[in-house]
Amino acid sequence: MAHLAGLGHALPDRIVPSSELAARLDVTEEWILAACGIRERRWLSDGEPAAALAEKAALAALSRAELTPGRLGAIVVGTGSAPRAFPGISADLQRRLGAPGAAAFDVPLASVGGLFALALAVDLCPRTGPVLAAGAEEMSRVLLRAPLAKETAILFGDGAAACIVAPGEGPVSVVDVRLGSDGTFAGALSLGHDGPLEMEGRTVILQASRKLPAAIRSVLDPQGLSPADVDLFVLHQANLNLLKGVARSLGVGEEKLFVNVDRVGNTSAASVLIALSEASEQGLLKPGSRVILAAFGAGFSWGAALLRVAG
Amino acid sequence: MTPATEKIRAALQPFARIPIPDDVDASLFELGVLDSFGLMDAVAGLEEAFGVKVPDADLTPRRFETLAKIETYFTSRAA
Repeated sequence: MAHLAGLGHALPDRIVPSSELAARLDVTEEWILAACGIRERRWLSDGEPAAALAEKAALAALSRAELTPGRLGAIVVGTGSAPRAFPGISADLQRRLGAPGAAAFDVPLASVGGLFALALAVDLCPRTGPVLAAGAEEMSRVLLRAPLAKETAILFGDGAAACIVAPGEGPVSVVDVRLGSDGTFAGALSLGHDGPLEMEGRTVILQASRKLPAAIRSVLDPQGLSPADVDLFVLHQANLNLLKGVARSLGVGEEKLFVNVDRVGNTSAASVLIALSEASEQGLLKPGSRVILAAFGAGFSWGAALLRVAG
Repeated sequence: MTPATEKIRAALQPFARIPIPDDVDASLFELGVLDSFGLMDAVAGLEEAFGVKVPDADLTPRRFETLAKIETYFTSRAA
């Protein structure tokens, strides 16, 4: 058993409205809204690294957990847009936090990286003490490597989030986490060292619409729970249409979905942790409630976690 | 039109953004009949219509790109 001791997130200041992208991509704002439900996203300014956002998010999470960086047993960062092959954003984050010594590594799985980082933290923390699980992305830099492609440019935003995972029970306990991957689809969502983002959108949607509900049921079934027993679904904010499709598949109302994709876009690995941090700030992690986290990303890989808020 | 084709057209109809073509070999994607999310819902509709669950490994767009491919897939699965 592990618990979430603190959450934090950080977004760039620069807002990129869909109207701005529509003009650059020769589409209409209405087309973007219909395609993904995103009104605006945040992009980093020149010279501003994702690690700086991760540092802000981590310091907020550490503060809420009443911990200093030196107490961290490990730092795990999910990402898909690290600016170099190695070392990862985790090394920059560790340097910024001034917390040398603890193991620090990246999980390069794009949109599911934050959830995998959290899952690894759950398993690590009984041995190492509190673990910083984070997601950090500079997806705008990936998009801007090549002429903007409307299929991807409308989706992605930059951001970071962090979560302190500590052993034992706490105000928000992790009841179970399940992960999976299928390398058959490795080529359907990939990013070379210098290349453009390769995304077979239809394949991603088809697989995600199947894998996400299955992953969610995989953490509910062993507890004798159904989707109706869940109070809040905090899913990877890939696309508003996908979120609604997952809700339909699970037979739950859209009012149970936490949604911020309209404001921050798809922040890839940071997405599910930013959403969880915002949900916490908005008082949506209510006493006694059950919360589902779920994400889908490169590999393909997917996973879900069941959280229980102390009553 | 075969009974299977009629069943397929009926299953796709709720999710079609424009009229479904008569040409069974026309790409439903290139014509704009189905977008990504329409495809997601259409597969669920086809599964219900044929009483067949599409395994995850078969869940790739190319299997559902044309009326002919859809018919081939579901009739073989249902057999």
